[in-house]
Amino acid sequence: MKIRRIVALAYKEWREILRDRLFFALAFVVPASLMLIFGYGLTLDVEHIPFAVVDHDKSAMSRDYLHRYIDSRYFDYKGDVASEREIEPLLADSRIRLAIVIPPRFQENLMSGRAVEVQTLIDGTFPFRTSSSKGYVVAINAAFNGELLGSYISRRLGVSAETAKAMAQPVGVQLRYLYNQEVKSVWSIAAVLMMFVLMITPPFLTALGVVREKENVSIYNIYASTVTRGEFLIGKLAPYVAISVINFLILWLMATQLFGAPFKGDPLFFLLASVIYVTCTTGIGLLVSLFVRTQVAAMMLTVIVTIVPSVLYSGLLVPIASMDAAGQFEAHLFPAMYYTDIVLGSFLKGVGLEQLWGKVLALLIYAVGLWTASFLMFHKRPKS
Amino acid sequence: MNGDPAESRARLYLWWSRLAAMTAKELIQFGRDTLLLIAIAYLFIFDIYMAGSVSMQLNHAVVVVHDADHSAASRELVYRFRPPYFKLGGEVLDNREGQRLLDQGQALVVLDIPPDFEHDIRKGKPVDVQVQVDASNTVLGFLAASYSAQIIGQYGFDQALSRLGVTERSIQNVPMIQSQHRVWYNPNQRDAWFMPIAELLTVITIMAIMLPAAAAVREKERGTIEQLLVSPLTPIQILLPKVIAMTLVILLGTAVSLFFVLYGMFDVPMKGSLVLFFAVTTLYTFTTAGLGLYIATLSRNLAQAALLAILVLMPMIFLSGAWTPPEAMPAGMRTAMFLSPLYYFIEMGYGILLKGAGLDVLWDSLQGLALLGMVIFGFGVWRFKRQFG
Amino acid sequence: MGQAAMVGKDAPVVRVQDFVKRYRKQMAVDGASLSIDRGEIYGLIGPDGAGKSSLMKAIAGVLSFDGGTLHIFGEKIDSEAAAERVKGRLGFMPQGLGLNLYPELSVEENIDFFAELRDVPPAELAQRKHKLLAMTRLDNFRDRPMKQLSGGMKQKLGLVCTLIHEPELIILDEPTTGVDPVSRRDFWMILTQLLRERGVTALVSTAYMDEAARFHRLSLMFDGRVLIEGEPDTILREVPGALVELVAEPQVEALLRLKTRFPQAEAVGPKLRVFVPGATPQLARAQVEAQLEGLMVSEMQAVAPELEDAFIALLQQRQPAGQDDARQTQVWLDGDPPKGDGIAIAARELSRDFDHFRAVDRVSFEVRQGEIFGLLGANGAGKTTAIKMLTGILPPTGGAGTVAGADMRRAGLAIKGRIGYVSQAFSLYQDMTVQENLRLFARIYGVPGSRLAERIGRVVALAGLSGVTAQLVSKLPMGIRQRLALACALVHGPRVLFLDEPTSGVDPIGRRRFWEILVHLARIEQVAILITTHYMSEAEHCDHLALMHAGRIIADDTPAALKAALQQEAGQVLDIGAEPVLPALEALEQAGFSDAALFGERIHLLARDITAAEARIRTLFAERGIQLRDIAPRTPTLEDVFVHRILQQEQQEASA
Repeated sequence: MKIRRIVALAYKEWREILRDRLFFALAFVVPASLMLIFGYGLTLDVEHIPFAVVDHDKSAMSRDYLHRYIDSRYFDYKGDVASEREIEPLLADSRIRLAIVIPPRFQENLMSGRAVEVQTLIDGTFPFRTSSSKGYVVAINAAFNGELLGSYISRRLGVSAETAKAMAQPVGVQLRYLYNQEVKSVWSIAAVLMMFVLMITPPFLTALGVVREKENVSIYNIYASTVTRGEFLIGKLAPYVAISVINFLILWLMATQLFGAPFKGDPLFFLLASVIYVTCTTGIGLLVSLFVRTQVAAMMLTVIVTIVPSVLYSGLLVPIASMDAAGQFEAHLFPAMYYTDIVLGSFLKGVGLEQLWGKVLALLIYAVGLWTASFLMFHKRPKS
Repeated sequence: MNGDPAESRARLYLWWSRLAAMTAKELIQFGRDTLLLIAIAYLFIFDIYMAGSVSMQLNHAVVVVHDADHSAASRELVYRFRPPYFKLGGEVLDNREGQRLLDQGQALVVLDIPPDFEHDIRKGKPVDVQVQVDASNTVLGFLAASYSAQIIGQYGFDQALSRLGVTERSIQNVPMIQSQHRVWYNPNQRDAWFMPIAELLTVITIMAIMLPAAAAVREKERGTIEQLLVSPLTPIQILLPKVIAMTLVILLGTAVSLFFVLYGMFDVPMKGSLVLFFAVTTLYTFTTAGLGLYIATLSRNLAQAALLAILVLMPMIFLSGAWTPPEAMPAGMRTAMFLSPLYYFIEMGYGILLKGAGLDVLWDSLQGLALLGMVIFGFGVWRFKRQFG
Repeated sequence: MGQAAMVGKDAPVVRVQDFVKRYRKQMAVDGASLSIDRGEIYGLIGPDGAGKSSLMKAIAGVLSFDGGTLHIFGEKIDSEAAAERVKGRLGFMPQGLGLNLYPELSVEENIDFFAELRDVPPAELAQRKHKLLAMTRLDNFRDRPMKQLSGGMKQKLGLVCTLIHEPELIILDEPTTGVDPVSRRDFWMILTQLLRERGVTALVSTAYMDEAARFHRLSLMFDGRVLIEGEPDTILREVPGALVELVAEPQVEALLRLKTRFPQAEAVGPKLRVFVPGATPQLARAQVEAQLEGLMVSEMQAVAPELEDAFIALLQQRQPAGQDDARQTQVWLDGDPPKGDGIAIAARELSRDFDHFRAVDRVSFEVRQGEIFGLLGANGAGKTTAIKMLTGILPPTGGAGTVAGADMRRAGLAIKGRIGYVSQAFSLYQDMTVQENLRLFARIYGVPGSRLAERIGRVVALAGLSGVTAQLVSKLPMGIRQRLALACALVHGPRVLFLDEPTSGVDPIGRRRFWEILVHLARIEQVAILITTHYMSEAEHCDHLALMHAGRIIADDTPAALKAALQQEAGQVLDIGAEPVLPALEALEQAGFSDAALFGERIHLLARDITAAEARIRTLFAERGIQLRDIAPRTPTLEDVFVHRILQQEQQEASA
């Protein structure tokens, strides 16, 4: 190991990246813009659901009931329509996502102690929004029913309104949202996006960088020189790890400053764990680059190798715990899952090495494994 | 230009003959590019299939219980946390244990039932059940909280009714709202009907940009463009066949994906007119190809083109409503969405496939797409002509 | 250390025995053997795909191989570890002008990087860098990014980077391809000088036959095999035969007759060249005369054959060329060819600017029907830009021109329909078959469907492609690809043909066949041909030549007239053999022979008065104790003309 050669290699690579405008953009602009676009674009908060109303009763009570929707920040009232038939085109054209149909004699039936059926029509196109909308509707109905039942009990049993209310709702719920009290999706998305972006961009960049050298004949300078394999790999990849660490810092800043995500954990621990993670993902890029000859093939293979685990097996969209056994097993094979836990733990949960050492160890093993495999596969005297 | 009719007929024939020859050439080349064929198969089949396996539903979320009562009532409540939404992850003895499981992500919900739970209910004394939810994943956290509240609320309601002596049969005589949900278009809220469609439309977009860009850049890279430029072909005759050929390829891929993956594997209903869907897809790929042509003018090789395509595609996809519907977007973004042709395409894709909407409903989306598409295609052609004219 | 020392001085630096290299199923080198001695410049000559690069890479230790043995500095190279042991003493420059350099880095940064990679101590680096930069005249461009260098400069920088760690053996893969003759001459000069000073050994490959004289010893490679190895003179001796040059009228008839008996007969401009294998000069003349009885024959002389003749003879011994003499079919069906006196291409004061740089500067020339017009110049001299303007790809900044009777400024599309074009890089579709390519271009050029088959049949016959029509182009060798490119350019029967460096990388036989077709087209079909080339030997085929340098035409005449003018102006070429050669060169330069240049072991210079010059040289050498072995005048080659004109131009520019 000669430090001077490693430094020469790293410094050369660094200057090349900085002076190639497209590559520079890829190195620094793409990660940040991925974060920006996903962070703003992937809003999973279900709010402002546009809805319309068919009120066949038009009574004080029906208006009172409807106002619970109209006044909610979760719903966005788009107006009344005369009949059910008018709803369909509105739903079909996505002008509304939900419609409430109040039957005739709504007030009369309720006043006289009879149950009524209120129909809710929901656009099922975005299933997770549908589930959330349904949840809101159920909650509003439950509250309304509680009141109805309370006044019914009060009337029937002649007890005070207070007692009646307690009797109507014997079990209360104390809901505590841990880690993200306001359930701001951007907080968790911003955090998980760090995992995603740092999974996608370092391998992409690295694979392109190495294959570019192979595609040009400049790799022969390395082959023909006395630089050892280890020196080459370290020198060549150090800039990519460095860029990824810089990107990591930028993303961290964006998550906390731009998206306001709280950071509750230990910054030093998080930094170290993240360096291990980007070393690991850089290693993926390196390994990919040893299998392919052209930049285009490198891009395709990296996308396939990285997107699948980072979307499916990272806990980004599907929680690992709710996967079937095979899925859970696969998830444990990819590094993304471990880092997701580290990011969420550090950002929202405020836990550190004590809780997360196992995940860090897994990443470390991964990184060492990838780099060792690459080292063994890289030859200065290849077959072709 | 106003020669005799026979001559202009011959000229027209020659124009079409050149176009046909070039289109055939593009298709031959496409068929011999193994790497590209694999990529296309991957995207149109495997990628869509994968998207169908992504679920954003609460599915067997682990609930751990701290039951300080251990009564029949508490057991009944706990019993209500069951699949498909929840799955009991066992009992913990104290709150700290529950906290630890949440910290490590081994449980999503900790249900805390206070002592004297049954006793208090009997007495008519209000009692609170504590639910702690890991909200670090907001979608799941929110759903878990919402379902837990529903379950507990319903439990309380049932308890109240039973104390009043209300039975199944007499329930009609209690003044209450019986909520009737009807979920349209995707009654079981299957994610597999949602994500694969969004993904297919996204893949179509990627291909509509990448394939013509690749076909054009490859000519630059290999120098074959020169041979075409010295020939009597006009720039339009060079670029149009690429767009036509690639549109055909994309339509074929779409058909495979639609019939074998969406319909064959996920039972996506395909309510609307398939003719309309393919017509819209044709319009979309054709016009979006303009962006590919533009990218081709900017790049010297395929790798550069792919990088540029990524830069162009990202905002397009995320302003499209593929993941987030427009009403959930911040106001500024919502305006910007009108600039993404994919927005209109997604709107129409869902409209036709899931909602069974026809032209009457989708007319304004179609207009938007046609207008925007025309501008994009015109721009691409203009750039191409300027570089190769 | 120990082992290398034990080998001693006389053991070869490189010894290759029965070397075999395969890529998957494809055989690249099939049993090559050679040995390279210390201090010599060893040449590998052969066309693209002959196996030169594979062999050189294996010697450089950057490619594993499948059979045979390889010793370098006495070390047996049979593993990666063994290769590593000798790499410190090697320098390797891979193929492709400047491709191994880093385009974003400056000249100095490139050199520094190579030095650091090779552990050159900083003090020595500064010293060597200074010297090498001065020698290559790159010192004024230290801070310029490599991507902005000209071809010649890239090549020199590549050489500097390869030499910065002072290797004992340097391996240079086609260092001179695509470089202008002046830079090439410089390059050889620097190389020779360095090798002599340090006793370095060099292995150099080239596709130019005429560079053979630069090597001490060489191997001719073809199709993965070494055809023959040895000193250039030895090789010539081993392929006995005589070369007869003559002028005959009518040339077409004469050539046809000669070809029936001598496969190695060709038309070079107005002359015919016939190689008669195994014959003495007298016998050869007699045989040729007999063959041409009844024709007007003049200027017949027997001359020494060149290495290229020997190479082709060797190849033909191995595999007699396929006989497809359907070549004589007319390409044109409709009526007689146009009259030979029409002007097919006219350029008047054509100029083209790119940003702040003038690529073509007021260029004027004319090409007549039936004429082969050669445009010569280095990469970047403006040839390709000029052609692009005439073919209507690039609008000119100034000036005018007519092509095939149409004004290039107004009737772009009409011109495009009437010309054929073969571009610099092979630019047909490699993923399509020969037939598919031909059909495509026939339809693009508007050949009516009813005549498609017939037209394609004609060009297939003309270009000798009948055996390969169903094959993918990517599977074809370079020579056949270029004939296909020509066939595609001819499929619509154009009367004007543009060819931009059509023969780069094509083997000598392939080149010869290509020229045969061109000569046929010009002489019989009266096609006007504008061709660019950087093979000086090919320039001799042209009826008329224009030399381009830095965007301008600096000479424009027939080859014979150009040579005559050089003799008028600067005198004749003196070919000198001296010992030791480097001091001799130095002495000559000091004595005012500024254009003295090294050619392998020999020195060339121009002298107006040969006898006076010879006398001066004799006294000069006697004073300095240099032994003059021989000295003789030689007719100048076109390369001499070219180098002289460019140097003249540069001097004018410098003084202006």
